[in-house]
Amino acid sequence: MLGTFLDHQWKAFWRSKNKGGTIATQIFIGIIVVYLLGVAFFLGFGMEAFITQFFPGKDVFTVFNGVILYYFAADFLMRMQLQELPTLSIVPYLHLKIPKQKIVNFLNTRALFSAFNVLPLFLFLPFCATAISDVYDSFTALMYVVSILSLTVFNNYAALYIKRRSIQNLKIVPLVFLLIIALGLLEYFKVFSISAISNRVFGFVTTYPLAGFGFTLFAVLTYQLNARYLRSNLYVEELSKNEAKKTSTDYPFLDRFGEIGTLVALELKLILRNKRSRSAVTMSLLFLFYGFLFYKKELLDQDKLELMLFASVFMTGNCISIYGQFMFGWQSSHFDGLMANKIDIRNFIKAKFLMFTLFSTFTTLIACLYGFLSWKILVIQFAAYLYNIGIGTVIVLYFATRNYRSMDLSKGSTFNFQGVGASQWVLGLPYFLAPYVILLPFSLSGAPYWGFIALGACGLTACLTREFWVSFIVNEFNKRKHKITEGFREKS
Amino acid sequence: MILEISNLQKRYGNRTVVNISDLQINAGETVGIVGNNGAGKTTLFRMLLDLIRPDQGEILSKGEQVAHDGQWKDYTASYLDEGYLIDYLTSEEYFVFIGSLHKMSVAHVTDYLKQFQEFFNEEILGKGKYIRDFSKGNQNKVGIAAALMQAPELLVLDEPFANLDPTTQIRLKTLIKSLKQERNMTTLISSHDLNHVTDVCDRIILMEKGLIIKDLRTNENTLQELEAYFSG
Repeated sequence: MLGTFLDHQWKAFWRSKNKGGTIATQIFIGIIVVYLLGVAFFLGFGMEAFITQFFPGKDVFTVFNGVILYYFAADFLMRMQLQELPTLSIVPYLHLKIPKQKIVNFLNTRALFSAFNVLPLFLFLPFCATAISDVYDSFTALMYVVSILSLTVFNNYAALYIKRRSIQNLKIVPLVFLLIIALGLLEYFKVFSISAISNRVFGFVTTYPLAGFGFTLFAVLTYQLNARYLRSNLYVEELSKNEAKKTSTDYPFLDRFGEIGTLVALELKLILRNKRSRSAVTMSLLFLFYGFLFYKKELLDQDKLELMLFASVFMTGNCISIYGQFMFGWQSSHFDGLMANKIDIRNFIKAKFLMFTLFSTFTTLIACLYGFLSWKILVIQFAAYLYNIGIGTVIVLYFATRNYRSMDLSKGSTFNFQGVGASQWVLGLPYFLAPYVILLPFSLSGAPYWGFIALGACGLTACLTREFWVSFIVNEFNKRKHKITEGFREKS
Repeated sequence: MILEISNLQKRYGNRTVVNISDLQINAGETVGIVGNNGAGKTTLFRMLLDLIRPDQGEILSKGEQVAHDGQWKDYTASYLDEGYLIDYLTSEEYFVFIGSLHKMSVAHVTDYLKQFQEFFNEEILGKGKYIRDFSKGNQNKVGIAAALMQAPELLVLDEPFANLDPTTQIRLKTLIKSLKQERNMTTLISSHDLNHVTDVCDRIILMEKGLIIKDLRTNENTLQELEAYFSG
C-alpha cells in the first residue's frame, strides 16, 4: 500500500502540468540541486582540511563536534520556514477502504523525501567515515553516523509537529519564535554556547559510543508523537488552515486615483492575502540588505561606482523585478472576470505603473539609509530609482504581455517554480543590462557621475512620456490578450 | 436586435467546436442554450464576451463588433465560472469592487444588495470569509448576484442552476422573469436542466457538436421534444 501511495505521488510530481514549466527551468533546478549537493560533499570530504585552515591551532574534533548541533539548530529554523506539510495529497484516499494507520504511515514516510534530509548526510558522513574512524575506531564512527541520522529524523518530525500544531492553534507560532529569539540572544551574549554543549554531548559519544542511541530514542519519540497526533486528527478541515474571521478593508489614500486606485487596492489585497505573493514581497524586502554586500568602502573611495549600480537597481526596484516578473499571472485565477467586466485596459495597465511606482518609492526611501555610509550611494540609488520607475517598469510590463502561465498562489514562493516560463528568464537580461548600456560610455571616459546623471535623465524622460509607454503596453496587451486569457485558464 | 452572430467558427486542432452560420437574439428575449458536454455552449459564451478569439466570422452586439471595442461591457454582465471571482476578497469587497466599475458608491451597493437578501438566504454577507472559503454553491450565488447588480441589458449565465440549492434555483428563475418584465433584459442561459430552461426561457437553442440543430419558441410541447432528443 505504501508503495502504491509513493507511486501515485511520483506520478503526481512528473505529470503535473506546470511541474517546472520549461526545460530550461528544470535544467536550472537540476543544476542548483547538483551544485548544493556537490558543495556539501566537497565540504564533507574536505572538512578536516578546512577546519585546520580556518581555525588554526584548534583541535579538529572540538570544532567538528561543536558544529554539529549548531548545524541542526540552523537546519531546524530553515525547516520551519521552508519545509512543506504533506497534507492535501491524502484527500482522495480518506474515504476509501484504507486503514487510517496506513495513511498516517504514508504521510510520515513521504515527509522524509526532502532535501533537508539529504544534505546532512553529504556534509557529515564523509568526515565520520574518514577522520573519526581513523582516530577512534569504526564503531565510534558508526555511532556518529547513527547520531547524525537520528538528529536529522528528529528535526524532520519535530518541525512538522510544531507546524501541524500551529495550524490548529495560532498562538504557538509567536511562542516558538520568542523561544528561538531568546535562545539566540542567550547564545549571542555568551550566557551559554550551543557549540560548547554540542562539544560536550559529542565528546560523551566518543567516550561512550552507545550513547548515540540516545538521539535515536528522541527521533523515535517525535515520530510517535507525530503519528499519534495525525491519527487522532485525520480530518481534512483540521489538516488545512482554519483561520480567524476576515474583515473587509479599504485604502482611502488610493481613492483619489479613481478606477486606477481601485485596481491598485485590489492588487494590494492580492499581495497581502495570498501566501505566494506575500512571501515574494517579503523576500524582496529582505534583499534590501544587499547593500551591505555591494557597497564597499574602498570602492566608494576610489569612485568605482559602476559595480554598485547592479545592487542599486536591484534594491530600488526589487519589488518590480521579483513581483513583476510573474505579472499578470498573479491574477490568473480571475482573469476571465477582469476581462469580461467593465475595466478599461488602459486603466488596468496604468494601475500596474502606479503600483510599481509606489513600491519602488517605498523601497528607495528605506534604501536611503545607506546614505549614512556615503552620499555617493544616494546619487547612484536616485539614478537607479528613476531608471526603475521610468524604464524598468516598461520592460517588466512588456514581458508581462508575453507571459501565459497561470499561478497557484496558495504555496510559498521560495523554490517554487510553478508558473515560471520563458519570459521570466529572458526578462532579467534587458532589465539589468539597460542601465549599464547607458552608463558604459561615461564610465569608460572616466566620468561616472555624468553617467548616473544620464541614467537618471533617461528614466525621468520615460516617466514624463509615460502616456506613450502606457499606450505601447496596451497595444502589446491587446495583441495577445486572448492568448493570455487562454493560458491562464489552464490550471496546473 | 441585440446580438447578431454570422459565420462564427472556432476550431481546436481539426475539431470544430463552434460553427454557427447565423443567429440573432432580440432584445428582451430569454434564451436557453442546451446541449450535451462538448456542444460548444461555453466556447460560444466566451466568444460573445471576447475571451476567446473566433477563427472566423463576427459577433455584433448592438451593431458593434465585440472584438473591436469594449462598448458592450457597459450593458453586458456575465458569470461563467469561478474564474470570475476574485477569491481573496470577502463577498462584500467583491460587490463593492464590481459596483465601483459601474460608478456605484458603497452605499449604493449595500442598498442594492438588500434586494438579494432572500436570494442570499443569510449565507453570503457578513460571514467574515474570503470567497475562496465559500462552498461552490455560495460562490455561484456571489457571481450571479454580482452580474445582476450591474443592471445589465444583456445577461449571460453559464449553467447558473448547477450547484444551487432548490430554493435558490426557484428564486433565480423568478428574478430573471421579473427583470425581463421590468427592464426588458435579454438573458442567455446555458443549462443541463431541461425543466428549468423550458420554464424560464421563451426561446431554446439546441446545440450539438458546435452546430445549432434546433431553435424553438417555448410552448407546452417543448419539454417533451427536448427530452425526446436527449433520450434518443
